[in-house]
Amino acid sequence: MTEPSIEIKEFHWLMDMLQTIDIGLVVVDRNYQVRVWNSFMESHSGQPSSKVKDHNLFDCFEELPEDWLKHKANTVFTLKCHSFMTWEQRPYLFRFKNYRPITGTEEFMYQNITISPLASLDGEISHIAIIIYDVTDIAANRKALESANAELAHLIRTDRLTSLYNRGHWEECLAREFGRYQRYDTTCSVVMFDIDHFKQVNDTYGHQAGDGVIRAVAEVTRKSLRKTDIAGRYGGEEFGIILGNTEAKAAEIFCERLRKEIEALNVNYEGQEIKFTVSLGISEAKTSTQNYTEWLEQADKALYVSKENGRNKTSMYDID
Amino acid sequence: MTTRVLICDDSNVARKQMARSLPQDWDVEISFANDGSQALTAIQEGLGDILFLDLNMPVMDGYETLENIVKLDLPTMTIVVSGDIQPEAHARVKKLGAVEFIKKPIDPESLANILVNFGLYRPGGTQTIKQDTSAPSSTPSTAILTRPDDGEPIDYRDCMQEISNVAMGQAADLLARLLNVFVKLPIPNVNVLEVSELEMALSLAEQGDTYSAVCQGFIGHGISGEALIIFSDSSFSDMANLLNYKGELDRTVELELIMEVASILSGACIKGIAEQLDIKFSQGHPMVLGQHVKVGELIRANSNRWKETLAIEITYEIENHNITCDLLLLFTEDSLEKLYKQLSFLMD
Repeated sequence: MTEPSIEIKEFHWLMDMLQTIDIGLVVVDRNYQVRVWNSFMESHSGQPSSKVKDHNLFDCFEELPEDWLKHKANTVFTLKCHSFMTWEQRPYLFRFKNYRPITGTEEFMYQNITISPLASLDGEISHIAIIIYDVTDIAANRKALESANAELAHLIRTDRLTSLYNRGHWEECLAREFGRYQRYDTTCSVVMFDIDHFKQVNDTYGHQAGDGVIRAVAEVTRKSLRKTDIAGRYGGEEFGIILGNTEAKAAEIFCERLRKEIEALNVNYEGQEIKFTVSLGISEAKTSTQNYTEWLEQADKALYVSKENGRNKTSMYDID
Repeated sequence: MTTRVLICDDSNVARKQMARSLPQDWDVEISFANDGSQALTAIQEGLGDILFLDLNMPVMDGYETLENIVKLDLPTMTIVVSGDIQPEAHARVKKLGAVEFIKKPIDPESLANILVNFGLYRPGGTQTIKQDTSAPSSTPSTAILTRPDDGEPIDYRDCMQEISNVAMGQAADLLARLLNVFVKLPIPNVNVLEVSELEMALSLAEQGDTYSAVCQGFIGHGISGEALIIFSDSSFSDMANLLNYKGELDRTVELELIMEVASILSGACIKGIAEQLDIKFSQGHPMVLGQHVKVGELIRANSNRWKETLAIEITYEIENHNITCDLLLLFTEDSLEKLYKQLSFLMD
């Protein structure tokens, strides 16, 4: 017996390293027969190399996206270049459990995949290596960041008391709607309304009760909205509604219904029934309207007309 | 008999490389032209029995030059020398009358074989004088014939442009094969820029349009940088057709498309540059920089860490399809010294 050559010894520990490295390594030939299945793959899939090696990859793992993977693999075989896939395209290739099943937040392992061409001695690409990286932490962090940003974006637009849009965002919506009106000559109306004698509610029942009243108005308003209508809390007891594709006449019907519903409300605060009304003003966008601020002022003027005429009323802004 | 050889390329580096690749013992008189129109004049003056012609050039490109040679019935034999290795480019120039197509970087041995096959050169001949001439004929000439002067300092920009040109051609060839199309190749734009100028320098960046981009880092041999692939969002529907993606074009499908094309383009280009510099780069996993955003939002480069960048911009367009994408190779400031050193090895 001769001693194994240095090369073979080296080959042995090189193979050992590939086996134990904490990255998924799969080598398949042109017929998708598995040639290498390292221990990362064994451990995470629960399938020992002996069961997978020399078998067709897609027979062993029927849940694999066969068409997709073959398409990518074909590109690598024919163009002899690397192919990269990120978890953003497809969360995983092999559905493995999260490596941290206890403290991890995600259910499965997110994976980045690289497919590399492997040349045989004659320079032809006879095999490809599918390399699987565990990027669960990156994905989880990114998703947490995205949801935090979405939450932040929501908070920055929302009025805390009523969950309607706050003044800033509602005005942005109003400006956009006015822009649309100017570009496409659509019909639209804006409504401003406020709670009559709100100061008295606060003085009689206290601020907590006042908050309850504002919330109740917001709730009724929200329920009366159609899909495209946009309501916001403009100030203390003042609200605004943008009614897209609505002329003043139709806006009046909408407002009257809202007014009556609010008139019928009973807000119960610590055993006391509180009743109240609102006054509303409507302005339909006209070609003579210069900008959205002017449009809003018109609705505000109409609201004052309602106030002057005894409150609990709807008025329309009249250009003449 | 001395053969008059005309080398037409917009890159000084490429002209030199071409001249150097010719068999040493070939009895020739070499002239140079910077673009097609200069080449036509030089041929008319009898300076080009054989024309080595580049394809991508300003003023008059190689295709147009070939057309003119036929139209004017000029007495020359054209061999196209190009980094555009798409089979379609090969076929087109043959159709236009070129007798042969040699790919860049030039392999002197196969060049010699071609010359032998055409009976233009016999190896081991007795004549071993190689003449360079820059002197145009005595008649007044409009052709500006430039002669590479070995004493002059290396023009790194030109050198990098030529290397990018070859790498770009290799990447385009893969893209053409993937999509089964012809990719129109531009002249790569090489500039050393302030990071703040980067956005302005992008030719793709049209106001109001939105873009999607993928970036891929590379590093090796003390040289590092990033490859950015920037797609105009209007390219997606044609790209989906070419790659046979059926169904609705949503963000996930777009991501698939951009990743597929980007990994090929940036991978091939980075590899092509590394091979020519005779080094190896490790490539990171591509990252999505953004989808449907303005160019300014894509390149929020960290200008605190570095100020200058060597930027190579290549705008790929696909013939008969509404697909445009920008490949931007950015080298960091501290890579430049090493990069220039590699380039000077290459020029020696």
